[in-house]
Amino acid sequence: MISDTQAATECAEESAILRRIAAESIEDTGGLFVTTPADDPAYADRFFAGCRATGVAVQEITVGAALAREPRINPGISRAFEVEDASIDAWTLLWGNARSAQEHGATILSYHWVTEVLRDGDRVVGALARDDRSHEDVRIEAGFVINAGGVWAGEIADMARCPGITVVPGKGIMIAMNHRLVSTVVNRCEHPADGDIIVPSHSVCIIGTTDVKVDSPDDLSISPGEVQQMLDAGEVIVPGFRQARALHVWTGARPLFKDTHSDEHGEDTHHMSRGLALVDHLSHDGVSGFLTITGGKLTTYRLMAETVVDAMCAQMGAARTCTTASEPLPGSQAGNYYWLGSRLAAQEEAMADDQLVCECELIPRRRLLEVARRRPGMNLDDVRRVLRLGMGPCQGGFCTYRATGILHGLGDAEVGRADELLLTFLQHRWLGLEPILYGDQMRQACLDDWIFQGTLDVEHLPVAVPA
Amino acid sequence: MTRVVVIGAGLAGLVAALHLAEDGARVTVVAKGAGSLHLSPGTIDVLGYAPERVESPREAMAGFVASRPEHPYAHLADAINDALAWFVACVPRMRFVGDGEENLLLPTAVGVPRHTAFAPASMAAADLRAGGRFVAVGLSGLKDFFPRLLAENLMRAGLPGVSVSVRHAEIAASPRPGVADVAGQVYARALDEPAFRVAFAAALKAVIEPGETIVIPAVLGLAKADEVWDEMQERLGAPIAEIPTVPPSVPGMRLQRELNAALSRAGVRTILGPEAVGYQSDAGRVSHVSVREAARTRHLPADAVVLATGGFAAGGIELDSYGALHEKVFDLPVVGPPEGTPRLSARHLDHQPLMASGVAVDGACRPVGPDGNVVWPNLHAAGAGIAGAEPWREKSGEGIAIAAGYRAARAILEET
Repeated sequence: MISDTQAATECAEESAILRRIAAESIEDTGGLFVTTPADDPAYADRFFAGCRATGVAVQEITVGAALAREPRINPGISRAFEVEDASIDAWTLLWGNARSAQEHGATILSYHWVTEVLRDGDRVVGALARDDRSHEDVRIEAGFVINAGGVWAGEIADMARCPGITVVPGKGIMIAMNHRLVSTVVNRCEHPADGDIIVPSHSVCIIGTTDVKVDSPDDLSISPGEVQQMLDAGEVIVPGFRQARALHVWTGARPLFKDTHSDEHGEDTHHMSRGLALVDHLSHDGVSGFLTITGGKLTTYRLMAETVVDAMCAQMGAARTCTTASEPLPGSQAGNYYWLGSRLAAQEEAMADDQLVCECELIPRRRLLEVARRRPGMNLDDVRRVLRLGMGPCQGGFCTYRATGILHGLGDAEVGRADELLLTFLQHRWLGLEPILYGDQMRQACLDDWIFQGTLDVEHLPVAVPA
Repeated sequence: MTRVVVIGAGLAGLVAALHLAEDGARVTVVAKGAGSLHLSPGTIDVLGYAPERVESPREAMAGFVASRPEHPYAHLADAINDALAWFVACVPRMRFVGDGEENLLLPTAVGVPRHTAFAPASMAAADLRAGGRFVAVGLSGLKDFFPRLLAENLMRAGLPGVSVSVRHAEIAASPRPGVADVAGQVYARALDEPAFRVAFAAALKAVIEPGETIVIPAVLGLAKADEVWDEMQERLGAPIAEIPTVPPSVPGMRLQRELNAALSRAGVRTILGPEAVGYQSDAGRVSHVSVREAARTRHLPADAVVLATGGFAAGGIELDSYGALHEKVFDLPVVGPPEGTPRLSARHLDHQPLMASGVAVDGACRPVGPDGNVVWPNLHAAGAGIAGAEPWREKSGEGIAIAAGYRAARAILEET
């Protein structure tokens, strides 16, 4: 907020908009910034002034009030500030946007890799894509192409022969911890650094994140050092963090747009602009029908879309008013925020009528059937991204077999595919478990091994074990 | 009378306690929880994969321990046959089928033919070695069994030299009509009562064809499983085979019941709930096991101790967040993957060296240090806490537990 005042203002405005249009994906947790014993005590005053200067609502509260609100945080904190923060579920948000786009006539081709951006002279006129599942090529002709490829935006621009778009992947790991160690988004009141935030999310909380410049956006590796760094950072905010149970770790890559004209910050991606970046390839490369939008962050995704579509309209000479700031997404029309007890309440209503496929995340069988019928051919990771299958404490220990059996019984997956779904899901869960296996999650992993290998003997299913 | 404290109420601990008590020791079992038998499928695995399929555990054992000198069986190979024969006789109502000579080949709930050395007669009826015609029958209220997946995988398992055909069906008979989600043990308890058996058998009768073996999830009774299985076969005029599925496991609960009854008859005292947290020693021997109870720690006197707290799954061995391994009660040295070697593989189903961590033992199952010396002369270990095995991959868990529990007990009886 101090280093990036424009980004802070954008964030504050956009989060107010998201509360109106995407309530379903938001839990109104509020936020706290706390000065821990490890933080520079002088930063708090600068932080407070920075908030005021950028119009971000902030209120200092007493240490006692902060500890009463969040009893697990470090009792040694010296300052605490309340802000209007919230926890957002990126998948719910994504599905809401996808459904909204479809309702407005969009076709969404997921699992399609762009292999070529088509040009006709100085115009971009479409793209070729490869269907990752059928391995068929799809040719898409379009009057305009928007490159919103995130960390891959530079590669997409290269395909359009518009070189020089440098998006630096800033890789970061996040660890989901069992239970909500905090129920408020808690930040360290310190210059942005690794492991300075814990976000409550559904029945877990997530600590983030590291920030490592990597050469490839496809580098999703997780080093033991990064995990240890997060656990140490967790201890600073919540003493005893290491005794809590880590459920899963994963990696994301921030798209950090590198303005090639200024390089004063060198390689430290923390301080590269998180502001959005619009590249007009007409002025940049003399190519029309093509815009790149990159940089930014989740909170400003809508603003990025508005910015790039407005620029497209301008280039096409079509004056259209953007409505995304006022039109609620499907699922959010009622304007009710997500609340933690919602799934349990629904389950209590229908307890006798349906089977629970996943006890951790309270997923009833009919929800799985609905989702499977709406989108045939899903794998279990697709199901997870809609329903949170396998994201709870047992990490798929019980639901994987059930979900496989249900999709197979439905006729959605023939038997060989069903076996592959099961083994692939277990393998993918393992990738996020292996780096954080200790304590109770090690126990859980062994129980899961007893179930799948000991009792079910899945390793001898007549199907190739996925890599 | 020798006073023995057995820590842990899983299979290894119960085996050790029973054998000790039968031979006159005064045994106290102390365990934080109810043990892990209700998680187990109720079969007795000895050696199923090494890593190729093992048809005869007895024949394969010598070669296995020669190639795996760090494996628990390296210390137990000469005890295992006696141990298994004794164990099977201790729980007659389980009606174990098998001789340790040849593995049975039983379908799992996902339709994989799986080797095991002994299985209750109610499961052994699905032995695939002879081939046959099967009908896999699901229960509409039970979410942990998918007869079609089982049938189709079994059909494509490609068993050499035998003909297997499997179809699938489902029945709606339920002990709790109107309730969609019914646990296996609820079916089992209902089938302990004669009334539900009639309705259940009638429903099965309607879906079977002559000459078929009926394959159903393992829910045929809890306290009276033997009686339920006999009656069902009689009513249907067809063989019935139970398949264990994900926990809680009804056959595991049956085994636990039978063992607990045997322990009770043998005069074993059981303290469930308080956790063993440490020990006291005197003159180079463990003299007491310290047990944390409400508001105090009690010190149970012991002439000998069997540590059967399990491996990672049961919590006997712990991996902390820094990657260090700990044995929880005696702080014994734990053997993990050697320094500088990979601990875990990124491929889930590969060998995971860390998972084989545990305490090293001598031929009397006494924990030893890195120098090979016995840590305490009167402390013995049994079960999954012993280093060197990945029992779920090898299908060796019950064999190790029974052989080690038995060996530890014999060693104590012979010493005193």
